[in-house]
Amino acid sequence: MKKVININFQGRVIPIEETAFETLKQYIESLRRYFANEEGKDEIINDIENRIAELFTEQLKKGESCVTDAHVDAIIASMGKPEDFDAVEAEPTSSQSQKQYSQQQTYTQFTTDEPRGSLHRNGNDKILGGVCSGLAHYLRIDPTIVRILFALITLGGFGAGVLLYIILWIILPAKPLTTNLKKRLFRNPEGKIIGGVCSGIAAYFNIGVWIPRLIFALPLVLGAFTGIFHNVFNHDFDPFPNILFSGFGGTLFIAYIILWIVIPEAVTASDKLEMRGEKVDLESIKASVQEELQGVKGRAEKMGEDFKVKAQAWSEEFKNTAQAKAQSFAADAGPAARRVGSGLGHAIGVLFKAFFLFVAGIVVFALFIALMAIIFSGAAVFPLKNFLLEGFWQNLFAWGALCLFLGVPVIAGITWLVRRISGAKSSNRYLGYAFGSLWLIGLVCFICLIVSIRRSFDTRARIKDDITVVQPPSGKITVKVADSKVKYYGGWFRGGGILTIDEDSLILNNVRLRVVKSEDSLYHVYSIRYSYGNNPAIAERNAGRIVYQVHQSDSTIYLDRGFTVSEDTRFRNQRVLVTVAVPMSKRILIDHSVDRRLSWDEIKFGPHDYYYDDDDNENSSWWQSDVEYVMTPGGLERLDKDRDNDNNNEESHKRIQEDNQKKEDRKYRYKKDSTENKQEKKDSVKAVKTGYREDEHKVENNESGNTESDGKSSISFLSPFQQMLAIGN
Amino acid sequence: MNIENTQSQMRKGVLEFCILSIIKRGEVYPSDIIDEMKKANLHILEGTLYPLLTRLKNAELLTYRWVESSSGPPRKYFSLTEKGAAFYSDLQSTWDELANAVHAITQNGQSISSNNFNQ
Repeated sequence: MKKVININFQGRVIPIEETAFETLKQYIESLRRYFANEEGKDEIINDIENRIAELFTEQLKKGESCVTDAHVDAIIASMGKPEDFDAVEAEPTSSQSQKQYSQQQTYTQFTTDEPRGSLHRNGNDKILGGVCSGLAHYLRIDPTIVRILFALITLGGFGAGVLLYIILWIILPAKPLTTNLKKRLFRNPEGKIIGGVCSGIAAYFNIGVWIPRLIFALPLVLGAFTGIFHNVFNHDFDPFPNILFSGFGGTLFIAYIILWIVIPEAVTASDKLEMRGEKVDLESIKASVQEELQGVKGRAEKMGEDFKVKAQAWSEEFKNTAQAKAQSFAADAGPAARRVGSGLGHAIGVLFKAFFLFVAGIVVFALFIALMAIIFSGAAVFPLKNFLLEGFWQNLFAWGALCLFLGVPVIAGITWLVRRISGAKSSNRYLGYAFGSLWLIGLVCFICLIVSIRRSFDTRARIKDDITVVQPPSGKITVKVADSKVKYYGGWFRGGGILTIDEDSLILNNVRLRVVKSEDSLYHVYSIRYSYGNNPAIAERNAGRIVYQVHQSDSTIYLDRGFTVSEDTRFRNQRVLVTVAVPMSKRILIDHSVDRRLSWDEIKFGPHDYYYDDDDNENSSWWQSDVEYVMTPGGLERLDKDRDNDNNNEESHKRIQEDNQKKEDRKYRYKKDSTENKQEKKDSVKAVKTGYREDEHKVENNESGNTESDGKSSISFLSPFQQMLAIGN
Repeated sequence: MNIENTQSQMRKGVLEFCILSIIKRGEVYPSDIIDEMKKANLHILEGTLYPLLTRLKNAELLTYRWVESSSGPPRKYFSLTEKGAAFYSDLQSTWDELANAVHAITQNGQSISSNNFNQ
């Protein structure tokens, strides 16, 4: 009992026994492979198929109900199997056109007898230009080994491998070479998880597939776990997660990717046999094909193969026409010209291809990295979203832009890469359209998002608050930044003025300090709160919600470390500018806490009193913290600068020297003081009463000639946070 | 060095010449070529013939036209081009020379006509 199927063969419907059909299919496949490098192979195959179809029709006309195994066997016997052809035409018969290549023909013969004859690029087995496999053929080793070496040279040698490859690509002539190895490393598409690398290795070494899988997966899994724990517990964020890019697991990950690229997939039956090192002949192919057909994947793979064959046929045809054109042109111009012409064309073609692949590779790689960064930074960026986005539409646009604008190219790129690796050359048109239109939607979302966010930053409002300053009798003011009660732990987003973030509030330290010349003889301090918003009202509301305190205690002004933005206010680039106006010939000292807790570039030394509008229209002169400056008609000047050029002002010089001496002492003490303070418990007021603080107090008294109560002056040497508490009380 | 190899080498050399001689006589269908050669006891597989014809056609020595067939798909009938005819006459003279030379050497006698060898 046999199953009979109907096939469409050369435009005829032929009823054929299923087994006979399999035999026929294998036969055609074997012919295809045999003639793979023949010019006009499709025509040959077509002719043969035509003839077979004719013979089938004859059989059916004789009254047979269907084509049987026996018929197919008889036809195959009369057509001849590829093995039989060899006896008759080991070398191509001469025709006029081929006489031109007589030299090459002797080559062919030579290489078939002595495969190590000369170095060629292999036209049969190539990923880019067949250079590696040609080299491997020459050296009689597995092409995969050469490819891996090339990949390593490229990665390690900063592109030297690429250059070498391109040069070889140009220099070496292409030639279809048959493999001279019994066993080759392939990726095994059956039972693959990612790329079939492990499965292929297992087949090559004839070991259980779990062994290479375990070797690859275990460090990666362990790495991932430690990486996740590391992230969770340390709140550390690394834009390039160490899961993938560091350590042993990372090395294996990269190794896997390289292997995936360089090892060819075992597509045809003969590949699969070579993978296991079995002898490739028609019988063993038949056995393996039948085995394969029993598998579930069989059919799908066949389809893929057909698809591939078609694509190859198309490209072959194109190549042939192009070559034929070039050759016919060159034949007129003489053999020498022909060589030059095709050589040059070849080189240009190769360079174009290499360039295209290079650019495409970079784009794909960049997108891949971007996706990775987005995925892994998602957790960190996610809370920020609520502070930035307002309303349904912005959220929608944000998600659309994320998924479509960034995600689609990445997926498309990966798809392309996988297809490229797996050898499918043509792509589905509709897939391309789908990707394209999704990406366009993503682009629109992205633009809408940008526009909509931009609109939220349309208007800027500014609120100026004057802070009343008790004029310090010493003629000197010190600016410090208070320590805060929350211990801030930073993430990567700590820059950009964002100090920290929690569920419903964002703490910004977008705070600048500016020192200007006072109009009168008094110190003035004022703060300006800025915020953006959709319209003036909202911007003003946002600015009004900034709570930023500046306190004075004695001659010290304490600045808050940052201010809080609640989730319903949202991040609208709120900022605070604190301006200290110093009157003529009065002094100012900016504590290093300002330097440390705000950041350098946010402290400006402006010569004039104007509102700052842009970030960079202020020429901030270089200055140092913990150094006393004095206001002169020309702006602020360092006090200790004068020490260097001795003959300035005798009187003031003397005073300054004294001052400096004192200041040195004080600075040292202060440093000691502040470092110790940090270690102390914040609410321990007892810490105030330490010996050197009293010294300090004395120094200050001497210096200013002012009498202050012990209690009050000691407060100024509390830790800044204690100071705040004290004032609050 | 085995005999079969040498034999096939010998046959191979004349194969193209024989096929061209058959086609020269008029439009012909490939399986007719096979039949005719079989009759002359010169066996060739169809799988060998088709590539050979394609190659000759690509070299513009042969041309073909489609002929509707009652027994199946349309058939390709091959005929010689002008270039092919010139090519054939070159081969013919080479063959004559070769046959004479071979005969002279093997028979150690008079040269004879190539027609004895050629169908």
